[in-house]
Amino acid sequence: MRTLVIEHLARVEGHGGITVELEGDTVGNVHFDVFEGARLLEPLVRGKRYDEVAPVLSRICAICSVAHSLTSLKATEDAFEVRISPQAELLRELLYLGENIESHALHLFLLALPDYLGYPSAIALAADKPDAVLRGLRLKKLGNLIQETIGGRAVHPVNAVAGGFGRAPSADQMIELRSALIAGIQDSGAVIDLMASLPGAEFCRCHTVYAALHSPHPHSYYGGQEVIVASDGGRSTVHAADYKMLSNEESVPHSHAKHSRFRGQPFMVGSLARLTVNPSRIAGKVALAAERLGLHLPADNPMDNNKAQALELIGDLERAGEVVEQLLREGIEDEPPAAVHSRAGTGTAITEAPRGLLIHSYTYDAEGRIAAADVITPTALNAASMEMHFRRAVEQCAHRDDALLGKRLEMIARAYDPCISCSVHLVRKR
Amino acid sequence: MKPQLVIGLGNPLMGDDGVGCRVAERLADDPRVPEDAEVICGGTDLFRYARQMEGRRRVVILDAIQDDAEPGSVAVLPEAGSGLDARQQHAHHLSAVQAIRLLEMTTPSRFLLLGISISSAGMDTGLSPALAARMPAILGRVLHELGRPPEDLRPL
Repeated sequence: MRTLVIEHLARVEGHGGITVELEGDTVGNVHFDVFEGARLLEPLVRGKRYDEVAPVLSRICAICSVAHSLTSLKATEDAFEVRISPQAELLRELLYLGENIESHALHLFLLALPDYLGYPSAIALAADKPDAVLRGLRLKKLGNLIQETIGGRAVHPVNAVAGGFGRAPSADQMIELRSALIAGIQDSGAVIDLMASLPGAEFCRCHTVYAALHSPHPHSYYGGQEVIVASDGGRSTVHAADYKMLSNEESVPHSHAKHSRFRGQPFMVGSLARLTVNPSRIAGKVALAAERLGLHLPADNPMDNNKAQALELIGDLERAGEVVEQLLREGIEDEPPAAVHSRAGTGTAITEAPRGLLIHSYTYDAEGRIAAADVITPTALNAASMEMHFRRAVEQCAHRDDALLGKRLEMIARAYDPCISCSVHLVRKR
Repeated sequence: MKPQLVIGLGNPLMGDDGVGCRVAERLADDPRVPEDAEVICGGTDLFRYARQMEGRRRVVILDAIQDDAEPGSVAVLPEAGSGLDARQQHAHHLSAVQAIRLLEMTTPSRFLLLGISISSAGMDTGLSPALAARMPAILGRVLHELGRPPEDLRPL
């Protein structure tokens, strides 16, 4: 028997990334070990007052800090039955769009693109194709600008608070943002040109179940509390309060993340799932781009998540422009947040982080302090589906040399855009 | 705009990995910081601060480094190609070394990466006792570097 290990995807030492066991032509165990999960995160917030929770949990990840912050606030507001104003809803939606634009630009241009074009890193790619890398950096910077303008800080936003917004952006800031978005929308055409020019990635095909938030607006990542699970043309609905039907966690000995299944089947979350569950997202320029990229839904290739991210990037830029226009047209009120009356209770929120469903569920005591917390990240939800796709890719690979298999598995892993919570950032010596 | 920008990187929920951030927090209230320097406590994504870097003479980055040196040692890190791991290590992040290389394409600022040695990182909201005990020395070393004119510094 031989064992293939791809270690460096997991940043926490001792957690082995992807492991595949091969015995002749037979594929044995296929494991994805990810340092992730509620049991690691709950101790961070137990006993904290309701207004201390979001600032702590937003630090789980710099890339997903808006997602964690807003999902946390939404769960707290659910627990205390707080209703935020339409303006606050819109500002939160815009903040979320900023994070998605930033995250997708980083992923597509600096992480996935080198894989497709055979470069070991974005640095190597930049030497030959600086325009592509610079475009990615410009779009990422635009996403950051949205988050900084609305959230009040470049990372870990402070303006969004329980009940709404502590401080709304000024009209001048929004006018500046509008100009930047106009330039970004012009830049976005090249995203599809680039994606359409990439070589195919046809090495893993299988039936896949998808789960995503049912959005009240085609490009919303924040609103709504119902998840649709789509499989074989059927659709099942899961309300946020019943989220354990989705997380339905199963401990596996090889990973810190518990594995999730819906009615016994692994499911995929993220951009491809969002487009599958919410087909109204594919309209106008996005529909034209989908046709150009040859994306047909439901897809049976996890690599299509990269195409779905490109489509979302186009749609998000347009939607962000619309939200800014609406806020400028209607005028931004300097309104105080809705009053929050803490009490004993449980609240759950589901949103769409850039890489898929994010669930926060809290139980508060009578003093408004966390008695129990459950944080389920998209990467944890995806873990079982990733293992399934790794297995299929190995089974469908005719020439099983380690370099080829390793490259394909790494590309599939990256297509899922996994964000390892509590990731470390340190520099390592070789 | 102040000509020097200091960014402390790291995840403060991951113990000693957050040391860059912790040092930046301390520096933000430290009267010894040169008047020409602005200090930001960052997270794990250096690109977030691309806009803040514009127009700066020098950007100083504080980050944890896992090496064989004594925890708390501070070093001006050498060329990324000579010993630092610039591989695409993570599915969703770029390392500081990679990020600096790319940011150099977009800004004329000079970058200085100060590595603070740690022995390990795990989930913890505080620094290890060994590293916490070295904080005064770490601050002193970083302040020494901030006080040096950029011409005296080796570029990354």
